[in-house]
Amino acid sequence: MAGLTLRNVAKSYGATEVIESIDLDIDDGEFVVFVGPSGCGKSTLLRMIAGLEEISGGEISIGDEIVNDVAPAKRGVAMVFQTYALYPHMSVYKNMAFGLKQAKMPADQIDERVKAAAEILDITPLLERTPRALSGGQRQRVAIGRAIVREPDVFLFDEPLSNLDAALRVQTRIEIARLHERLGTTMIYVTHDQVEAMTLADKIVVLRSGNVEQVGSPIELYETPRNMFVAQFIGSPKMNFFGPDDLSEKGHALLGNPDFVLGLRPEHMAKVSEKDALLTAVPNLIENLGEYALVHCTTPKGTEFIVKTTDFTAFEKSVPANIGADPERAHLFDAKTELRIER
Amino acid sequence: MSDRTLPRLLQTPAVILLLIWMLVPLGMTLFFSFIRYVLNSLRRPEWTTPSIENWRGGGNYSFVWNNDGFWLAIYNSVFMVTSIIVLTVLLGLAIAVLVNKNFPGRGIVRVLLISPFFVMPAVNAVLWINMILDPVLGLQGLAVGGLSNIVDALRGLPVLGNFFSLWPEIEPISFRATQTSAIAVIIMVTWQWTPFAVLIFMTSLQSEDQQQKEAAILDGANAWSQFRNLTLPHLGRPIAIVVMIQAIFHLSLYAEVEIVSRGNGNKNLPYLIGELSTNNIGAASAAGIFAVILANIIAIFLLRMVGKTLMD
Repeated sequence: MAGLTLRNVAKSYGATEVIESIDLDIDDGEFVVFVGPSGCGKSTLLRMIAGLEEISGGEISIGDEIVNDVAPAKRGVAMVFQTYALYPHMSVYKNMAFGLKQAKMPADQIDERVKAAAEILDITPLLERTPRALSGGQRQRVAIGRAIVREPDVFLFDEPLSNLDAALRVQTRIEIARLHERLGTTMIYVTHDQVEAMTLADKIVVLRSGNVEQVGSPIELYETPRNMFVAQFIGSPKMNFFGPDDLSEKGHALLGNPDFVLGLRPEHMAKVSEKDALLTAVPNLIENLGEYALVHCTTPKGTEFIVKTTDFTAFEKSVPANIGADPERAHLFDAKTELRIER
Repeated sequence: MSDRTLPRLLQTPAVILLLIWMLVPLGMTLFFSFIRYVLNSLRRPEWTTPSIENWRGGGNYSFVWNNDGFWLAIYNSVFMVTSIIVLTVLLGLAIAVLVNKNFPGRGIVRVLLISPFFVMPAVNAVLWINMILDPVLGLQGLAVGGLSNIVDALRGLPVLGNFFSLWPEIEPISFRATQTSAIAVIIMVTWQWTPFAVLIFMTSLQSEDQQQKEAAILDGANAWSQFRNLTLPHLGRPIAIVVMIQAIFHLSLYAEVEIVSRGNGNKNLPYLIGELSTNNIGAASAAGIFAVILANIIAIFLLRMVGKTLMD
C-alpha cells in the first residue's frame, strides 16, 4: 500500500499541451476521483500514473519511489479499463492468473490468489468460461478480479462503469465502494459522471483542459465550489446563475455588487411570497419524476434555469411565479474571473 | 404452395447449371478413366475414339499407381504445398507485425509489399530461374562468384592466408537440377504469395484491441509474450483462411514446375496429368481422379482445422 505524489506533472504531444502542470497529494488508502468533461486530461493523467503514457515533465512518485522511468508492471499499480480489455482467448481463470504467471509466481500461489479474488467478487462459478460467454457486469467483475489478484499498491479505474446499463451501474458502484472498504487500498477513479464522483470519493479532483480546478471532499465541492465551473459541474441538475438584470430588489440586495453573479442550486429554490422573492419567472416545462419535479423556467430577461421541488402543486405552466431561496445557501461569483466571492 | 417453394424455384436454374458444370467434367473424367482412350495410335486406331467397347476396368488406375513418377508426384505435391504454406505464414506474420508499426513511408512500403502478388506466375518463374537463381548469369551465380574471388584473394595473404585456405570452395547451386528444382519452385511461389498472407494479417492486426495490449503491459507481459498470448490467437482465423486458400491454389501448381525444369525432380500431380494427357487420356483421367482424392483428404484436414478456429 502506498500514497501517491504528483509534482508539476505535465504532458504534451508535440506543441499541444494536454496537461500543463499538476500538483497533487494522494494519501495511502484514499479513494480519489478525477472528474471533468471529456478532453480535460483526466484519462491521460491516469494513464501517466499507470505508465502507459510518457511523462513530459515533473515527477510522479508512488510511495517514496519516483516512478517516471519505472516500467508499468513494476509500479505496483493495477488498472481496470473502460472496455474491460479481457484477453478473449483465455478463460476467466487464465485472465486473472496472467499477470502473476508473467511474474513467475509458483502455480499453487497463483491458484490461491485467483480463488480468493473470485470468492470476493462472487465469480467462482465463472472461472472456466471465456469472456465471450459473460454478461457486461460479469466481465466488469473479472476485470476488477484481474486487478485484485496482483495485490497492487494503487488501483486505477478508467471509467469502469460507462459500458454498463443504468441499473448495473448503480450496483457495481456500490460494489466498488465496498471493495475499497474491504481492501483499504489507494484507488484512483476516472469518470465524467459527477454522481459517481460524489458517491465514491474521499477526495474529488475536478479537471478542466489540463488544469486542476479544485481538490476537496465531495461536500466541500458542493458547498464551497471555488469557481463557476466547479459549481456547475458538481450537483445535478447543475447550479443556476443569475445576473443583476434577472433579480428583484431583494435579489439585488443579496447580490450586493452588479459585477457579481448569483448562484443558486435547483434543490434550494422554491416558490415564495412576493416579498421574499429573489426573482420572478415563467415555468415553461414541468417534469414530474414522482419523487420530485423539475420545473424549467425563464426569467423576463431570458435566462433559463431549473427549480427542483417536491411541492407538485406550487408551479403551473405559463403562470409567472415568485421564486426565492435560502440566502445562506446562495453562492456569489465574480462575473469576470468566475471565482467564488466569500460573503 | 408453401412460401419457400417460389424462392426454391427461382434458385433452380442456377443450381442446375452449377451441377451440370461440375458433374459433366467429373463424369467424363470418370468414364475416360475406365476405358482405353489415346489421342494417337497407329497400331490400335479403335482406341482413339472414346467408347464403352474399349473398357479397361481398373487398368488405368493400376497403370498410374505403378507408374514410376506417381508416388514422386504425390510426394512433391504435398512437399511443395506444405513448405509454401509454412513459409508464407511465418514470413507473412513477421512482415505484417513489422509494417504494422508507424514509420515514415509506410504507405509506399505497403504498396511495394503487395506488388509481387500481381506478377503472373509464368513471368515470376522465368524471372526467378533466369535472373536470380541461375548459377552462372543469375544474381546467385554473380554473388557466389564474387565471394569466391574474395576468398581466393584472401588465400594469398601472408599468415592469414593459411586460415582461409582451410575454407571449402563455394559452389553455386543449380536450381534446375533434379535435387533442387522443387526448392526453386517453393522459393518463387513463397515470394509471390507472402504478400497475400501479409495483406490478410495486416488488416487483421489493425482490428486488434489496443486496450488488451495495455492491460498485458500492466500485467508485465513483454513483447514476445504479448505476441504469443494476444496477437497470435487473434490471428487464428486469418491464418486458417490463408492456409486454406493457398492449399487450394498450390495443389494445382503448373507453370512454375514447367518453367523451372519441365518436371525434372519437381513433377507434381498436375504436371503428371499434363504429361499423360499428351497421349494417354485414360491414364491422365485416372491420375485426375487420384488428384481429386488427394485434394479431398487435404480438404478434410483443413476444414477440421478451419472449422475449429471459426467456431471458437
